[in-house]
Amino acid sequence: MNELCVQFEGVSKKYPHFSLENIDLELPTGSIMGFIGANGAGKSTTIRILLGLIHQDVGAVNVLGHAMPADQAAAKLDIGFVSEDMRLYGPATLAWHMDFLRPIYPRWDQAYAESLLDRFDLKPQQKIKGLSHGQRVKAALLLALARRPRLLVLDEPTTGLDPVARMEVLQELMAVLADEERTILFSSHNTLDVEQISDRITFIDRGRIIDSYDKEVFLDRWRRLRLVLPPDGVVPRLNGIVEVGGSGRLPVLTTNSFEPAMVSACTQMGATVQAVDSMTLEEIFVANVHSRRERKTA
Amino acid sequence: MNYSMVMRLIWKDWYFQRMAILLSLAGGALSLGIVAFGGQAGFTIGLVFLVTIMAMISAMMVMGNVIGERENQTLAFAMSLPISYLEYTASKILSNLLIFVPFWLALTAGCLGLIVYAPGIHGLFSFTVIMAVEILVSTCMMIAVAIVSESKGWTIAAIMVGNLALNVVGYFVAHIPSIGGGLWKKAIYWNPAATIALAIEFSLILAMLGVAFFLQSRKRDFI
Repeated sequence: MNELCVQFEGVSKKYPHFSLENIDLELPTGSIMGFIGANGAGKSTTIRILLGLIHQDVGAVNVLGHAMPADQAAAKLDIGFVSEDMRLYGPATLAWHMDFLRPIYPRWDQAYAESLLDRFDLKPQQKIKGLSHGQRVKAALLLALARRPRLLVLDEPTTGLDPVARMEVLQELMAVLADEERTILFSSHNTLDVEQISDRITFIDRGRIIDSYDKEVFLDRWRRLRLVLPPDGVVPRLNGIVEVGGSGRLPVLTTNSFEPAMVSACTQMGATVQAVDSMTLEEIFVANVHSRRERKTA
Repeated sequence: MNYSMVMRLIWKDWYFQRMAILLSLAGGALSLGIVAFGGQAGFTIGLVFLVTIMAMISAMMVMGNVIGERENQTLAFAMSLPISYLEYTASKILSNLLIFVPFWLALTAGCLGLIVYAPGIHGLFSFTVIMAVEILVSTCMMIAVAIVSESKGWTIAAIMVGNLALNVVGYFVAHIPSIGGGLWKKAIYWNPAATIALAIEFSLILAMLGVAFFLQSRKRDFI
């Protein structure tokens, strides 16, 4: 887990209406990173820079020991990529795609590809244009996984899927990921999807990485403290509070660095701590983004 | 350059254009038949068919093979393969040329064969060679514009310009005295003006494809 599979150092990319700024990102080998951001936050731009499809203006990108974008052809030999806006060739069958890719990738695993056909319930002779969106995503996943890539990059693969297809894709993905250790970058604006499969989480907002930790660190540190204040009491001022919600005598404090001592500190300041709530990754993400945007505009 | 990967992509483009190639070859052969056996009216109609089919296959090929890759969102799949963008560009230029040139060569050779063997129209030889190469020039322009602009609108504009250029060039070549003056001669003739015209056309082809390759090498965003 010490070796870095992906490393971004001070990467920036400017467009007329959007810029990716000073991205530092490390993805250790063997980890599964959830890359979460709202639409337009910069997830796809970051991923395209990772793949060498967009050249960064400044900064260094290293993927599997290859400098990007210069060495992209060699790096992509070990990368499996599935993207929401990536389509396979409609007039061709899945079998044609498998035959097309097999000679390109030395580690192509035909037996594994065939087992995935069964697992994903796909028919190799069916033309891609006849597949449902969910089946197309599964087909793209099969083609990426059968390459036996050292790095799997999934850019919003579940976007646009109905709830049933989304669940099926995620279940199948989790099942195949349990097969062996892989390094995965999974981008989505759907935190539920990411939470299920990731062990590391990175939040991106408006072109900047705003947080990047192990999932458990996020879930342990972020809490909501529901307080009841005395009639003329004030909201306790504590370090690590990123948002104050609620109303009047019933404030809700959101913290990104929870410690049990916070509860006793609140009590000492005259407040009654009604509850300390865990937060979902979605709540953590939204609170994180809101608090940072508010601090920026303040 | 990863030649095996470039060849793989060329094979892929050939595979997806195979029906268009076969249908165009059949149409081209039919046109040549009309030219050969259709009498005086058939000669003119067959030639118009022939030029139309050549223009049509080049437009279809460029739209399907270059613009279609982006429009159908298969470019991300192609670019996820172990290739650089320059290798992708090389594969697109080569695949378009390898689809078009054999077809163009076959029809041009057929057309020249008819001129050589039919009585009374031998004088058309040099004009036909120049106009056949002009079709290749137009096709290369369409390929270059499609690859560099990646835009359907610009490519359609290039197709229109290419087809208009065919008429304009035809008019001017026919009015070059040393070429146009011998159009209805009964013997095949070739002169320095025809050689210069061909040299200009082939230089244009090299320049357009070279510029396309150069501009692609300076691009920083591919998807």
